[in-house]
Amino acid sequence: MVPIQYYLLLSASVFCIGLFGVLTRNNALLFLMSVELMLTGANINLVAFSAQTGTLTGQVFSLFVIALAAAEVAIGVGIVLALVRNFEGVDVTRATTMRW
Amino acid sequence: MLIELLIGLCLLGALVVFTLPDRYVPTAALTASLFPLVTSFVMLAGFDASGNAFLGGELAYETTVRWIELAGLTINWHVGLDGISMPLLVLTTVLTTLAILTAWTPIDARRSQFYGLVLFLEAGLLGVFAVLDFFAWLVFWEAVLVPMYLLIGIWGGPRRKYAAIKFFVYTNVATLVLFVGFFALVFGLGDSISSLDMPAIAQALRNDQLGSLGGVAPGTIKLAAFVALFAGFAVKVPLVPFHTWLPDAHVEAPTPVSIVLAGVLLKMGTYAFLRFNFTMLADVARQYAQLIALLAVVSVVYGALLALAQQDLKRIVAYSSISSMGYVLLGLVAYTVYGVGGATFQMISHGLLSGLLFACVGVIYNTTHTRMVGDMSGLADRMPITTGAFVAGAFGYMGLPFMSGFAAEFFVFRGAFGSPTIGSPLLTAVAMFGIVIVAGYLLYAMQRTLFGEFRLDTDYEVGRARLHDAVPLLVLLAFTIAIGSAPDLAFGMIREAVGPLVEGVS
Amino acid sequence: MAAFDYAPAIAVLPLASFVIALVAGRYMPKGGAFAGILATGGSLVLSAWMAFAVAGGDTYNESLYTFVDAGEELSLHLGVLIDPLSAMMLVIVSLVAFLVHVFSLGYMNDEGETGLPRYYAGLGLFSASMLGFVLADNLFMAFMFFEMVGLCSWLLIGFWFRDAAPPSAAKKAFLVTRFGDYFFLVGVVAVFATFGTAAFAGAESFPTIAEEALAGGSEGAGGAAVTTFFGLDPGAWFAVIALLILGGVIGKSAQFPLHTWLPDAMEGPTPVSALIHAATMVAAGVYLVARIYGFYALLPTVLAVVAFVGGFTALFAATMALVKNEIKQVLAYSTISQYGYMMLALGAGGYVAATFHLMTHAFFKALLFLGAGAVIIAMHHGEDMWEMGGLRKKMPVTYWTFLAGSLALAGIFPFAGFWSKDEVLYEALVHGLNDPLLLGAYAMGLAAVFVTGFYTFRMVVLTFHGKPRSDVARDPHGVGWNVKFPLVVLGALAVVAGFLNMAPVAELTGLHVDYLHQWFVGPLEATSLETYEGLIEERAGYEAAELSPLLPAAVSLALALAGAGLAVVLYRGAEPTEHTDRLGSAKRVLASNYYQDEYQVWLAEGLTARVARAADTFDQGIIDGVVNGTGSVSLLSGSRVRRIQTGVVSNYAALLTLGLVALLVVLGVTGGWF
Repeated sequence: MVPIQYYLLLSASVFCIGLFGVLTRNNALLFLMSVELMLTGANINLVAFSAQTGTLTGQVFSLFVIALAAAEVAIGVGIVLALVRNFEGVDVTRATTMRW
Repeated sequence: MLIELLIGLCLLGALVVFTLPDRYVPTAALTASLFPLVTSFVMLAGFDASGNAFLGGELAYETTVRWIELAGLTINWHVGLDGISMPLLVLTTVLTTLAILTAWTPIDARRSQFYGLVLFLEAGLLGVFAVLDFFAWLVFWEAVLVPMYLLIGIWGGPRRKYAAIKFFVYTNVATLVLFVGFFALVFGLGDSISSLDMPAIAQALRNDQLGSLGGVAPGTIKLAAFVALFAGFAVKVPLVPFHTWLPDAHVEAPTPVSIVLAGVLLKMGTYAFLRFNFTMLADVARQYAQLIALLAVVSVVYGALLALAQQDLKRIVAYSSISSMGYVLLGLVAYTVYGVGGATFQMISHGLLSGLLFACVGVIYNTTHTRMVGDMSGLADRMPITTGAFVAGAFGYMGLPFMSGFAAEFFVFRGAFGSPTIGSPLLTAVAMFGIVIVAGYLLYAMQRTLFGEFRLDTDYEVGRARLHDAVPLLVLLAFTIAIGSAPDLAFGMIREAVGPLVEGVS
Repeated sequence: MAAFDYAPAIAVLPLASFVIALVAGRYMPKGGAFAGILATGGSLVLSAWMAFAVAGGDTYNESLYTFVDAGEELSLHLGVLIDPLSAMMLVIVSLVAFLVHVFSLGYMNDEGETGLPRYYAGLGLFSASMLGFVLADNLFMAFMFFEMVGLCSWLLIGFWFRDAAPPSAAKKAFLVTRFGDYFFLVGVVAVFATFGTAAFAGAESFPTIAEEALAGGSEGAGGAAVTTFFGLDPGAWFAVIALLILGGVIGKSAQFPLHTWLPDAMEGPTPVSALIHAATMVAAGVYLVARIYGFYALLPTVLAVVAFVGGFTALFAATMALVKNEIKQVLAYSTISQYGYMMLALGAGGYVAATFHLMTHAFFKALLFLGAGAVIIAMHHGEDMWEMGGLRKKMPVTYWTFLAGSLALAGIFPFAGFWSKDEVLYEALVHGLNDPLLLGAYAMGLAAVFVTGFYTFRMVVLTFHGKPRSDVARDPHGVGWNVKFPLVVLGALAVVAGFLNMAPVAELTGLHVDYLHQWFVGPLEATSLETYEGLIEERAGYEAAELSPLLPAAVSLALALAGAGLAVVLYRGAEPTEHTDRLGSAKRVLASNYYQDEYQVWLAEGLTARVARAADTFDQGIIDGVVNGTGSVSLLSGSRVRRIQTGVVSNYAALLTLGLVALLVVLGVTGGWF
């Protein structure tokens, strides 16, 4: 059996790639994809522990997360469309009119 | 059940008035305010309490209903009246009715909301004076702020928003402070109380059942709570240096609101002083009596000096209120029958007299559209009734015998002069100098505005007061003279309630 | 005794006329004047009845109305005290009030004056307040009516409110007397705190308790229970109280330094001036000291102060009267001066002399003011004496009555003022021979006699003699019966009132013609003259020197005659010139009233108002500044802090990450992971 540390390492790497994407990119679509990556990282974590402990809780949660990710994409794409319409592009740094 | 009826009538009246079209509202509001007025006089006639509500006295119109259970603490609906709250209750209903009458002329926009809010305000004020459970009391205490905020903020003068927000934030912060203070006491008392019933808490505190809290000794808690409560109420009174919201609020508020604000709202503060600081924490108050008396004297003299420097009639009356409230505090801290009784009497008297003066200023303003002393002179020629009422009110304010102001101030002075707590009569003597300064600024203002050759810098037709403008002035004047000539009308019951509080103080 | 049951009506009747005039005056002929005349006439009849009852040996001392019922010790009462003093004063006040009402018919009504109901209401209330004050049986009630008197003076002095000066004068009168009343009020409160009662007479009265306390030694052993303050012994503390009450007296009786309001008060209608000067407001102060003389007589220090203030004021005010050009101004300063004499007498232990002078002065000063009023009517409201002259032939009734009043004022034998002023000076002298301070006061009083003679006859000669100096004076306005009647009544009194108390004659001949002395040897022991004389000797330690009354009387008469004669000689001619111009710069000082007004106005406007403005600046700047500053700081910090909310999602994510890392680090460090 693969030791759990490998899964955790993988999960952390995927999460960090996603985080890196969120922090460095301005493109809303890339943002969405990065968030997906972060969620995936979390999923790997959940599933790994589930296998480790032999309970199903983690797997159930990962299913929830997948559902959540799908919903998030649906809303996210909607936001991206709104961005394109209102700010002529997918650059997230331009949508700052509601900050104050 | 009469108290509930009283408050209910106000709320019902407010509700009805809110829904009526503007045209019918002034009369409807007046009618609606007559119900609580009559009820309060019925209550006054059947008043049979004895002793102090917080010190185990017999209460009138008492009801106790279990309401909410919290961990270890019960919240009751507990209302009742003693000789201190009864006259204040009557003052509230009288002044509200008269304030509604004075609103007929100046208020011409959004009338139903205005009169509805005034009636709602009345319900809140009545609650503050009648409720004996802290939870419900605080609800009413805060409920007063909302209509007052709106009344100033919507119908006020040019700087109404500034004044309304200042008033609201200032008094609200004060509530927070007093709330902290009070709950320090509640937690300190721990198991010795089972409810938020204020009389029970007062008696527990007076029986030294306050425990330590988080390693802090009971004495320190008491002192800290006293300071917090004092600061909280001092804003409402207002006491120097927490007074600056008052002139702004008064200047911006429309006349009827000023009448209620000066006449009743300020009394909330002094009433709470009496109930919390000087009844519950009487030992702390007595210990620091000289300091408190000094604060009172500063308020008296400083407020009077400020009034002297003003050019706006409303500001003059507003600052003089600060001065008068100083007398109340001086009387309270004296812990003699005349001192505390006189302070309570002064609350009533000041309510009537400041109401009268604000009503007069209101009538002048409605007619001339200015309140600045320099903008007019010789109004006596054109407005004989208003001038007469203004002169009478001003002299009442200066302490003319056979009007309530004299009786109130004399009681306070007599009570404070030989007071066992204040010690030296010097402070009282200094405070008494207020009667000279008050004469100075009121006479000066009258001389400039009412007398001399007629002149008005604004372009308005000045005529005699209308009937509904004159009636409140004359009614207030009649009340002032009545209780000034026969103070026992109010002082009798006040003395009953004050007696137990000052017993054995030396 | 049935008579005394009607005592409250003496004050209530004018009060009723006040209400009637106020409510219904405008529907009544002459603005409700007749209600006032009837009421004060009724008061006069009742007062006379009281006086007869007192003469029959009865007195009355009852609480009638409980103002506040606060248990045995603390209650406040209103009551009536009728003894020789108050009976005498009641007659004086109601008589003068009655005559002033009658005179007002001529003075006010004949000119189409508006506001007459207000005028007669004011007069009614004024009379009622003063009568209430005289009736008072305790200090608290006295203070209440004292204040009411102040209000009435304000109302009446400022009667012509459309002009600028009267409201200002009214304000000044009220403020200055209020300043004195402040001390009085402190005194009243102190009396309550010290003695527990403020009653004037009886076993439970404060003068009695004070006497017992002093008799029991400074420890109060054997004496009644009194509470003193500031660690003072009873004697010193009582002196403080007495001086505080004296503050009110000095204010109302226009003694130095609170006399400045009185000349300004001439802005009021002349009948009001007569009322104020002769019988009501100004008399109230001196009456108060006489009323509680049992208390003052215990305190030699205070008596000395009273005497000295009185003597000083007598001379001080008289010198200012020398250079005045308006007839009423001269009279105003003479009032101040004459009340100084009364204070001098009270301070010197001459209780009877003071009350005697109070009475004669009430008559002749009311006469002089009403006479001046008649002159002013004749002059179409001109008051400058240099515009007058030669009125003697045009208005003989006024002239002869005015002359009688002037002779009384100047103290010329045998007019009323001679007898009373002589007794005042005699008392001051006999007690002063053993007391240098009193002797000084006497000297000033004596000097004032000469000055009084001079300014009085300067006034008379300028007004009535010589040739008319203006068109109006050549053709004066006539006066009616309602003017002449009061003048004649008062003129007669000014001539004969002195015979009530010819103390020097009594002493020289052994005849019992000092009726007033006998009058005051009253049935009520606490306020009896014998009691006072005993106290003056025992407690105040006054010793009367043996001295014949003849020489002092001759000296003062000679001085008065010299002053009067000098004035007559100087101003006699057909076209008199102003001889006081020769005084040079001294005249400027006198005409400016020793700059008393200036410094008091400076105190009010220069100092107090400036302090008030400074306080206002401080209040708006500092205190409100702190309040608004708190608000501004909140707003400002909010506006700064909100900048971290850039609206850029990446920044939020970065902050989030940073937070997470920080959290991990903290947890790691504290949890010992590293």
